[in-house]
Amino acid sequence: MATPEDVARLRQLKETEPLQVAWDDWTSTRKVLEDMTPLLNDPDPAMKALASEEASELDQKLSNILKETLPSLLVPPSTTANLSALVELKSGVGGTESSLFLATLLRMYMRFSQSNSWQATVVADNENEGGGIKDAIVEIKGVGAYDALRWESGVHRVQRVPATESGGRVHTSTVAVIVLPLIEEKDAQKEELYSMDDIKLEVMRARGAGGQHVNKTESAVRLTHIPTGITVSMQDERSQHQNRRRAFQVLSARLMDQKITREIAQRRATKNNLIKSADRSEKIRTYNYAQERVTDHRIGFSVMNLTSVLEGDALQEFTDRLRQDFEETAMEDMLNSES
Amino acid sequence: MHAFMRTLTSGLPGNELKWLKQGAKESNRSLESLVKRRLAHEPIQYILGTEPFGDLDLLCRAPVLIPRPETHWWTAALAEYLPKTNKRFAEHFAGPTSRTLSLLDLGTGSGCIPILLCHLWPKGSIVATGIDISQHAVSLANENATLCGISRSTFKAALADFLDPAFPNAETINPPYDILTSNPPYITADEYLHLDDDVANFEDPTALIGGSDGLQYYRDIANLISRDGFLSSDAVIALEVGHSQADVVSDMIHSKGFNTDIWRDPWGKKRTVIGHRR
Ligand SMILES: C[S@@+](CC[C@H](N)C(=O)[O-])C[C@H]1O[C@@H](n2cnc3c(N)ncnc32)[C@H](O)[C@@H]1O
Repeated sequence: MATPEDVARLRQLKETEPLQVAWDDWTSTRKVLEDMTPLLNDPDPAMKALASEEASELDQKLSNILKETLPSLLVPPSTTANLSALVELKSGVGGTESSLFLATLLRMYMRFSQSNSWQATVVADNENEGGGIKDAIVEIKGVGAYDALRWESGVHRVQRVPATESGGRVHTSTVAVIVLPLIEEKDAQKEELYSMDDIKLEVMRARGAGGQHVNKTESAVRLTHIPTGITVSMQDERSQHQNRRRAFQVLSARLMDQKITREIAQRRATKNNLIKSADRSEKIRTYNYAQERVTDHRIGFSVMNLTSVLEGDALQEFTDRLRQDFEETAMEDMLNSES
Repeated sequence: MHAFMRTLTSGLPGNELKWLKQGAKESNRSLESLVKRRLAHEPIQYILGTEPFGDLDLLCRAPVLIPRPETHWWTAALAEYLPKTNKRFAEHFAGPTSRTLSLLDLGTGSGCIPILLCHLWPKGSIVATGIDISQHAVSLANENATLCGISRSTFKAALADFLDPAFPNAETINPPYDILTSNPPYITADEYLHLDDDVANFEDPTALIGGSDGLQYYRDIANLISRDGFLSSDAVIALEVGHSQADVVSDMIHSKGFNTDIWRDPWGKKRTVIGHRR
């Protein structure tokens, strides 16, 4: 963890007012602690006990400022703080069982959004024939949605006895989640994520003679961003106009995601510290039905109330801790790089 | 879902089923009844009662022709193209001028072409009239205009037969016109017999059949545009054509004193013949 010298350096880093306040708080608390140090050796046992109690409180306060207040102020004037999120869910191993669990996760994110007053809309989904949902894209609109949800990216694993399993054997299935930063159309242009010259837009269908001869609705579109090879297909809406808008939205989100990842990588590449893996094929969380347990493997944290997590309530515990973990790591990065 | 419904819906593409579900929910109808209609080949646009046309949502009612994506494509392209086409038009779209441009749409159907143009161009830049031989179409076009927030002084649909030799003097129209648009019936009698049930059993044959060779309406349009005083001296015309008709129609228009251009649609078909008075 950081030493007082590190924190002193932080002072030069950012001269923002809330930081100044936190900094002043830290120095004055530390001063009080120093001033009372002699009392810790006071011959009067009562006085000594009182002093040590107070010292431990002050210690606690100092460590709070260091571990929570400062990181939240320093880490980085988050460029993503205002962003909404686009959540993509894809069934992985486990066939229908995986699709059924995907529907459960989808519901979890919808409810979680609701309790955070974000507006969640399923913009694309494909039902699975045997039940459940094969894949889905959810738009979650609201300030802070991306920052709260971004650590949900990765492979989610469910361990349970499928309803269809007569033998009572526990199956393990997975769902892949990708959370992308969603930006408004006008901001997408400001960010210069792509140039229209680099986009190939295709209308996907065989129309035969077309025109008056055919009245079938086929509004699907496909975008290809030539430089990156990213392709996005949209076909959920009856309106081609709408599908096109959605496709550009997803494309912008993917490009923005790449941009953010690139920026983080660049920042870290200039330092010699370890890069924490942001591998999306990594199993990040397990939902164990028999034990009513949900464990996040990255932070080694479990909630023993699976139902509440899936209802979207206890999910907050994970998102809060993951965000905190991220901020602490970022702060450590910053401290380590300042030498 | 009941086993029965599952069998019933298995004949539908996934998206259509989803849209029918939405439609059933929004209109408080049973999904089963909507699915049955669709399985009997009724177009989904008639079942749901609307069809997107660009960023507009137009009402659809049998037997008025359902607006096609090709028509949307060239109409949107025309909206961009026209203001650049000649000096007078350019000045006109750049700001208010003494005279509003006038547009006539022949066989207006749902009104999709003039309504989209009125929607895309600045308010007050054109006054448009759509005529149709079908009262169903005329009513629907007027309803659509209202729904899209376009006033009757900007666009009006009226009953008229443009094959009638007396048409240029009809009181419903007011030549000369600066812009003439049309997506006239262009399917040949022979092709008509081979159309999908979705088209042939539900859409008005009068909206589809263009005579034995599919070109009858273009001949009449070619005569109309060469009539004195029907079009202004720098008029532009835009005609949708069937997948193999562009060259023939282009020649017809050319022979009446117009320079012509052919636009290809996004599916690779020669779809629109554009004419400028020489
Ligand atoms: C292919 S539809 C086009 C409808 C609409 N403009 C569109 O693009 O969706 C042709 C239309 O021409 C109308 N029509 C056919 N014969 C006509 C005639 N002799 N005079 C006026 N309208 C006619 C039909 O009723 C039909 O609405």
